[in-house]
Amino acid sequence: MPDAFLVADDLHKSFNGHKAVNGVSFSIEKGEIFGLLGPNGAGKTTTIRILSTVLPPDRGDVTIGGHSVRRDADAVRRLIGVCPQELAFYPDMSALENLVFFGRMVGLDGGEAKAQAVTYLDLMGLSERTRGKVDKFSGGMKRRVNLAIALMGHPQLLFLDEPTVGIDPQSRNMIYETIERLRDGGMTVLYTTHYMEEADRLCSRVAIMDGGKVVALDTPRGLKHLIGRSEKATLEDVFLKLTGRGLRD
Amino acid sequence: MSRVLAIAVREVRSYFQDRADLVFGLALPIAVFALMYGAFSGGSLFNGTAYIVNEDPDGAYSRLLIERLDAKENLTVTLLSREEAEAKLSDSDILLVSIIPEEFSDRLSQSWSTQITFRQRGNGGMEGQIVAGMVRGEADALSQELQAERQVRLALAASGIGGEQATTTVQGLLQREKEAPIITVKETSIGGEASLVHQFMPGIVSMFVLFAVTLGSRAIVEERKKGTLERLLSTRVTVSELFAGKFVAGAARGFSQTVILLALAYAVFRLFTPVSFLLMLVVALVFSIAASALSLVIASVSRNDDQAVSISVVFTMATVMLGGTFFEIPEGSFLEAIGRASVNTYVNRAFATATTPGSGLTSVAYELVVLAGIAAVALVLSRSLFRAVQGGR
Repeated sequence: MPDAFLVADDLHKSFNGHKAVNGVSFSIEKGEIFGLLGPNGAGKTTTIRILSTVLPPDRGDVTIGGHSVRRDADAVRRLIGVCPQELAFYPDMSALENLVFFGRMVGLDGGEAKAQAVTYLDLMGLSERTRGKVDKFSGGMKRRVNLAIALMGHPQLLFLDEPTVGIDPQSRNMIYETIERLRDGGMTVLYTTHYMEEADRLCSRVAIMDGGKVVALDTPRGLKHLIGRSEKATLEDVFLKLTGRGLRD
Repeated sequence: MSRVLAIAVREVRSYFQDRADLVFGLALPIAVFALMYGAFSGGSLFNGTAYIVNEDPDGAYSRLLIERLDAKENLTVTLLSREEAEAKLSDSDILLVSIIPEEFSDRLSQSWSTQITFRQRGNGGMEGQIVAGMVRGEADALSQELQAERQVRLALAASGIGGEQATTTVQGLLQREKEAPIITVKETSIGGEASLVHQFMPGIVSMFVLFAVTLGSRAIVEERKKGTLERLLSTRVTVSELFAGKFVAGAARGFSQTVILLALAYAVFRLFTPVSFLLMLVVALVFSIAASALSLVIASVSRNDDQAVSISVVFTMATVMLGGTFFEIPEGSFLEAIGRASVNTYVNRAFATATTPGSGLTSVAYELVVLAGIAAVALVLSRSLFRAVQGGR
């Protein structure tokens, strides 16, 4: 695939003998929103941790923008932004201070970090609350701060790990629109979610993981064809057919 | 370097915004200093009470003895009846009572021997023993005066000089001797003045700085709890930069805390000269650096708050005890040998030396080198442990 911006090749990762990721391979094209779906414990977050250089794989490799996470992790880190599943910021600091701080961490100088922080807080509809302490924010506002931090440094590849968990439809819709706008601006996005309609709306291709493996990978439409009644089928039907109805927690 | 400073500034700001940390790090030691001031600022180190049963209440000599005891500035006399004394001894309210017998003055006036009784529970306790020593000393002095007076009176009787004149002369001579004694006592001490403030101040300052280890040990755990550790590790900041930022923050926090405590000690207890104060600051800076590095060792192996706090508490209490903060460790003892492994041993010694007149940087050079060495080893160790224990970069 000539335009592949991210190539994951046969990734393996075990914790105390448990194979969290077991031979995962896929690629993401530049400017694509790629969905990574799967039940709890499927290995999505571990995969993202490997892709974002936080965790070294036991086997296999990932290249992002032509750089290997194993051999050239620092170059990879210049290209990526990560919005983790949990709210990952300093609650005792203001939204602006959080963004400026993480801006400094991705290599921006003070002035550039502040300029980008103002831009992204505005993009997230938080320009009125830039000086407010984040722990006083509503759930939706916190989620938007979490996403805005990931945008600091204008990453070429954005990892979004369940960015809309526990927020109201308005905030969720705003996040969708922001992601689409970022995609239109050329940003590549890897998106994980438990909300199938989100993946259906946003993602050009979706990989479904289960038991540490990719069990299906196609466009949402292609995946619906898998269960043979694509007109009425939803991505959730596909998901349940492929991963089963048994509880995972 | 700018990332290191950004991390350090964020940490220090967070510390000064956290009221609980501020209370723990600053208000608590200030309160301890206030207590020390209240306890030791009177100039005298001992303040005791002499409980006395005077069964010779109208006797001249018993009254004289009690007046002399009461005149001592560090002794208060409390008179009790025999029944009260027995009840208090029985309840362990008091541990020693001095009983002046009924015939005390009569016998002394006739130059007959008499006896004061110390009635005590057990060994009378430390205060009781000191008070007993003071009562015994005053009784001996009174006895010698009376003996001398009697001998002089007997010697002069043949020459026709009256007893009253002899008594007046002897009393005058004794008074002159009291005002300008032939034998005087001079106290000299090694390693600072022998006051409790001098003895314990270094340990208390170093103990509270070392308690900052507990805060520092949570540095990585807190990042993990907030989810910011992984976020930071996916940015361009390296683990070494992250550790360096935490280290600088810990050292700055410890040093600012020490400066406040030392400034208080300077203002309240007048312990230092300006030169020795500067020397103390140098020691405090190097110690804060060592304490911060040690806290990173704990931070690098702790996976949660409980682990970080437990390890820190065990570590700090052990080092505080072995460093001789609360009691003097005898030279050549086993405790002294294992105390060499305690960072507090060196900093307490350096602080104590720094308060000794005439001390300079060379006087504490050995301790400073040891503390700097501990810091260097701890920094390298913490980085290696983080990689090995946390399975990270």
